[in-house]
Amino acid sequence: MMDVGRHPKINLLTYSEIENIGGYIGNFNVTVRKKARFVNEKDCNACNECEKVCPVVVPDEFQQGFSSRKAIYMPFPQAVPSSYILNNENCLGHNPIACGKCADVCEKNCIDFDMQDEIINLEVGAIITATGMDVYDPTEMDEYGYTRFENVVTSIEFERLISAGGPTMGHFIRPSDKKTPLKIGFIQCVGSRSQSKKGNPYCSNICCMNTIKDTLLLKEHYPAVEITVFYIDIRAFGKGFENFYQRSRQAGVRYVRGLPGEIFEDPKSKNLVLLAEDTVANTVLDYEFDLVVLSVGVIPRRDSELIRKLLTLSRTEDGFFMESHPKLKPVDAPTGGVFFAGCAESPKDVKESVTQASAAAARAQILLNAGQISVEAITSECIEDLCTGCQVCVAVCPFHAITGGNAKTKTPIQIIEAACKGCGTCAAECNFDALTMRHFEDSQILAQIDAVTQNNSRSKVLVFACNWCSYGGADLAGLSRLQYPDSQRIIRTMCSGRVDTKFILHAFEKGAPIVLVSGCHFVDCHYIDANRWTQKRVEKLWDRMDRLGIRPERLQLEWISAAEGQKWARTMKELEEMRKSVTAKEIKQTQEILKAEKEKEAARKALKREKSDKKSAKAAGVLA
Amino acid sequence: MKEIIFKCLRCGHEYVGLYDKKIPEEHTCPKCSSNSIRPMTKIPLNKS
Repeated sequence: MMDVGRHPKINLLTYSEIENIGGYIGNFNVTVRKKARFVNEKDCNACNECEKVCPVVVPDEFQQGFSSRKAIYMPFPQAVPSSYILNNENCLGHNPIACGKCADVCEKNCIDFDMQDEIINLEVGAIITATGMDVYDPTEMDEYGYTRFENVVTSIEFERLISAGGPTMGHFIRPSDKKTPLKIGFIQCVGSRSQSKKGNPYCSNICCMNTIKDTLLLKEHYPAVEITVFYIDIRAFGKGFENFYQRSRQAGVRYVRGLPGEIFEDPKSKNLVLLAEDTVANTVLDYEFDLVVLSVGVIPRRDSELIRKLLTLSRTEDGFFMESHPKLKPVDAPTGGVFFAGCAESPKDVKESVTQASAAAARAQILLNAGQISVEAITSECIEDLCTGCQVCVAVCPFHAITGGNAKTKTPIQIIEAACKGCGTCAAECNFDALTMRHFEDSQILAQIDAVTQNNSRSKVLVFACNWCSYGGADLAGLSRLQYPDSQRIIRTMCSGRVDTKFILHAFEKGAPIVLVSGCHFVDCHYIDANRWTQKRVEKLWDRMDRLGIRPERLQLEWISAAEGQKWARTMKELEEMRKSVTAKEIKQTQEILKAEKEKEAARKALKREKSDKKSAKAAGVLA
Repeated sequence: MKEIIFKCLRCGHEYVGLYDKKIPEEHTCPKCSSNSIRPMTKIPLNKS
């Protein structure tokens, strides 16, 4: 961190927040609010005199509330820049008049009560999101008595208690009587791998090794301490991790496979009593500890939704940011020019975070060095003559790649091709056929539908599958040799968002008995929220089909991930049964209904055009 | 969010759930786990 702070080519903005991010890959405009520290960080030499005289005492967040700090303070010992900061909210009487004791003793006159927040505008080519993580708050798991019992602490609090830079200078004590605990219990997976409503279902990845490290640290400093670790599985999968685990066992740490149900406190001794089943030895035993450490899991940053909106990112089901591709682009965000490092993307240990950060830096460097970028050929294209500037596409684009457009002045929209990812939602939503997707043009998809329905259309189920998930699900079903009917014919689109209403109606018009639209699950959408538009469109079409007298059941919707080969096979079996129920008479009726509807639509459009032409001619006459 | 009837277009199962047009959510049939769930927004709850 010190090296970063001193690096001539790195501009480090601490105590700052991003307010807005505009632009696109290679051309981002970032607005940063640099908050007022009320201390001139360049002149401050951290002499500590101001802190000594400050009368305000508040709990120290960095020390997890085990010690206190002043209103003017150093955030933590290794803080960069090594400068004091004055907390505006804590400062006694700062608004409107501060007590000024800190300013009186500061020989270098660093303290400036009139300092204002600074707005900084930056132009950057790439953004690396390294927003980190938060830890799970175990208060909701009342059975463990966190906050009810003084001697139940979290693993983060334990870190502070045993740290040489901590509130006790590394002298390990328990909170209730300030004595060194002799019996310590660690409970793993608190808030992780949870099957209940409390906690999270995912593994937090780092807690097992953190606990093993803590046990070894304790054994090194206090060999007489008895340590018991309650666990579900010890996940020691990294390089050298298994050796580390074995060292902990050899040092005398007892590992019990099973989590305790509840913790009770002895009101007199403040010791903690718990009952746990050892599923390896098949025994249930009582345990008494001086201190219990809850090995809490990792959760996404609580303010990550803000970053998600600013950078138009996606989040996976667990709340962490979603990468562009889990195998091929693990550090890239779906938004071009944005990369991930560390726990912003998923829970990681230091080694993994450093690896990802190095990769992200290299990816950003490649982009910046190139000077120009090559975008994939699958981008949206505006046919300006048809565009009315209604801006529907502007509203639906998940990447903000469409700008401009004015319905009043009939100004067509503009597409930023560098930002367009090619989901096709804009083309599907455009009511005037003014947008088309290169390589997934209307004519190309309609031709595929014609080819599928050309012969014996009644025997086929037409499936629109998205490239990333559903098509992968179909692929997996095939690779897994799963048995399912061969009646389906797949038309691949990059995203289910590309599936236009007219494609579905065209398929029915051509005699398709069943049409399935399938895409990624909402949390997996590779185009942020494009598949939400798919669902909206399909829901509207169901209503329309109902009005027209076509059974809505004939249009099906399914979210199938690339890992759900079984779901794909099951869906195909179910659709085959549905297909059999559609009679030739029903298909013919549908075709007649849609033909009549098409004629009506053409007449409506012609009338509209005629009116528009008359209006234009009238306007021209007035002008003449 | 308002309570409406959802109809599964795969198995025909109908159930009551919360719906907000502005906040699209992934719907899954509690009976057959299909995603072909039609929000019957025009049918009042008491007529179900």
